[in-house]
Amino acid sequence: MKILIAVSSKKYSADTLSVGMKVVKAFNASTTIVDVGEKINQFSMKEVDMVQERMDSWDIDRPGVDVLEWAFEYLAEKELIKTNTIEAGFPKNTLVETEGGRSEVFLEGTFSENLNLILRNGDIVEELKNEVQNHGYDVTIIGGSGKRRMSHDLTQYINSSIFVVNNYKPNQNYRLLLAVDNSVGTKKAVKYGVRIAQALDIEVDIITVSKTDEFKDDYNKAADWASKFLRRTNINHKKIFLNGNPSELISREAGDNHIIVMGSSNRNPLKTFFQGNKPLKVLENSQCPILIVK
Amino acid sequence: MLAFSNNSLANYLFWVSRKKWLIITFFLSIGLFYLPTPEGLSSEGHRTLIIVVTTLILIVSESIPLPAVAILILIMEVTLGVDSPDGVAASFMSDAVFFIMGSLMLAVSIVHQGLDKRLALAIINITGNKTINITFGFVTVSALMSSFIGEHTVAAMMLPVVLALIKNAGLDTSKATKLSTLLLFSIAYGCALGSIGTPSGGGRNVIMIGYLSEFGLGDISYLEWMKYTYPMLLIEIPIAVTVLWLTFTPKQKSLDTAIRKLKVNVAKSGKLSGKQLMAILVFILVFLGWVFLSPFIGLGIVALAGVFFYLTFGLIEWPDIARRTNWGVILLFGSAISLGIQMKETGAALYVAENALYSLQYIFKDIEIVRWFFSVVLSAILTNLLSNAATVAVLGPIVLDMGGNPIILGIATSVASAFAYLTIVASPTCMIIHSTGLVSSNDYFKAGWKLFIISIILLFLVSFFYWPILL
Repeated sequence: MKILIAVSSKKYSADTLSVGMKVVKAFNASTTIVDVGEKINQFSMKEVDMVQERMDSWDIDRPGVDVLEWAFEYLAEKELIKTNTIEAGFPKNTLVETEGGRSEVFLEGTFSENLNLILRNGDIVEELKNEVQNHGYDVTIIGGSGKRRMSHDLTQYINSSIFVVNNYKPNQNYRLLLAVDNSVGTKKAVKYGVRIAQALDIEVDIITVSKTDEFKDDYNKAADWASKFLRRTNINHKKIFLNGNPSELISREAGDNHIIVMGSSNRNPLKTFFQGNKPLKVLENSQCPILIVK
Repeated sequence: MLAFSNNSLANYLFWVSRKKWLIITFFLSIGLFYLPTPEGLSSEGHRTLIIVVTTLILIVSESIPLPAVAILILIMEVTLGVDSPDGVAASFMSDAVFFIMGSLMLAVSIVHQGLDKRLALAIINITGNKTINITFGFVTVSALMSSFIGEHTVAAMMLPVVLALIKNAGLDTSKATKLSTLLLFSIAYGCALGSIGTPSGGGRNVIMIGYLSEFGLGDISYLEWMKYTYPMLLIEIPIAVTVLWLTFTPKQKSLDTAIRKLKVNVAKSGKLSGKQLMAILVFILVFLGWVFLSPFIGLGIVALAGVFFYLTFGLIEWPDIARRTNWGVILLFGSAISLGIQMKETGAALYVAENALYSLQYIFKDIEIVRWFFSVVLSAILTNLLSNAATVAVLGPIVLDMGGNPIILGIATSVASAFAYLTIVASPTCMIIHSTGLVSSNDYFKAGWKLFIISIILLFLVSFFYWPILL
């Protein structure tokens, strides 16, 4: 399992990093924390590179290094990296360019050997898409940021599961809202949901929404299967059955005190491009963190 | 198989979502092609204007790489029958392109010498510890130096100095404060207003001189250009300092500790090395060449001669120049100049000029003011949206076809294209200070609009009351 956590600053990404690292621990995953710096206008790219090289000679950090340093301090404080790495301090001298515009520093993690911090520059959606495509992540974790369009684009185009840490409140007592139906992604969503519920030590609401007044057999079977799975792992849960518009009802039921977990849509990408799909609509309407499992 | 095809389709749709402006431009250019040619415009002129519209949208939207835009211009010029392949090739390369290429390579060579620490010491020795004096020093040095060696070179050398000062003042170099904003803008605006001072201050000045000469409208030497623009540059320095100080007044009125630490830091780097001395000497020779030899051999050849000496004396290696020079920008400016020449030759420039004058005459009665207003305001606005050299390359032929005094209108257009105060993308200098993460797009507007308006008023006064005396 490989997880990518995108952060931007101490001010806006503290919750994303905190939740992200809990998820990482739950999956015991290899982890990369990435900061994507601003896109540089093409007229000025070389000049900015030249300036940044001069900054090195003055021992002044390039933009973004401070974000990685903050992430390092967070990992050190939570003892997620090995003591000798903590004692040596943030190894910014080992921040090396591994491919065009991508610099990387490796750390020794306590729960996973592969823990690295990287810097990229450019359009955030393109950069994260390239990172996932070239380095094969299973889950990408991003902040809610208020830029709905960005979360929407990432969810639509990125080739991994995506966890949007939207409107997260550290002191809130969350429950996990596990949306199940007859889609092929449901089983994987349930498995991911269980791991997260265990990591965060929270209870689960299994929600099944039928567009019609009746529930098809396979909807009931999916809810039963999820319930059985949760029982086996000793997680307290309850089942909720609702009729109506799934995206509206899931968002309404989630409110601001749930973490939604749902499978991605099997819908044809062309239809999704023009009409959207269920997870994208839930993402647009919801006021809480949401994991869309692909 | 289905998963694979869905994945490919998703990737294709992602491309479409990122390239929507390319797609819109494609259909728009086809639509414009099939529109009847307007009365008074040749069919070649009509097609040239289609290329202009296509180019402007693609540059502003950045939907494809700049070198691709440059190549597209050349392809369209030939395939739309605007000119023959040899004609396009001939208009692509000129002394102005040599100059842009040479000055970008000179910038790399000069910055490579690590003279920024010397520069820092020289500035703080003159300014002392007071923040207002330091601001004045940064604006003045940036303006005076960029007037000779180009704004991106100066910004690249000055930025580490400012960041070192901020760091030594005990402030976080990743957190914006009024002091950091003030000092960073003092470089950006200093460089911008300085770039009007001499032809070598910016590629756009050389492009305008090239157009004036190519279209047989007049020859301006290095020193003549300075006579026109340097007084305005000197007047603008205290104005810019005042505007910046009033907009971003910092808490720290004195930077005692920061200056002391900076001096210690600079002292560690030792005395001026032989290579650094040689680098300065070569640049002085280049400057003298621009002043005395450029009327005979051109500004571009002098700049390239400078690069030749830097390489020959081992002051820089070719791989360093090759890696750090923005070749895409050189290609684009070559293509933009070629497009400008085609606008002139096909009558497209004249058509746009006449229509613009006709429309603006309803607002201003005096035709001289109409011409000036069109040239200056459009140039100043466009420069904040695309790039100043591209603005002059495209706008130059139109302005020079409007009648009136071409020298005044030409220089006014070129000067106005330096008013890159309002946006991040306005110039490499604006982008350089933005890349530190310490200035936001709102900051550009806060001080920029004041300086923008003052500069336009000042340019008006200079154009109408000072320049006519020099003619």
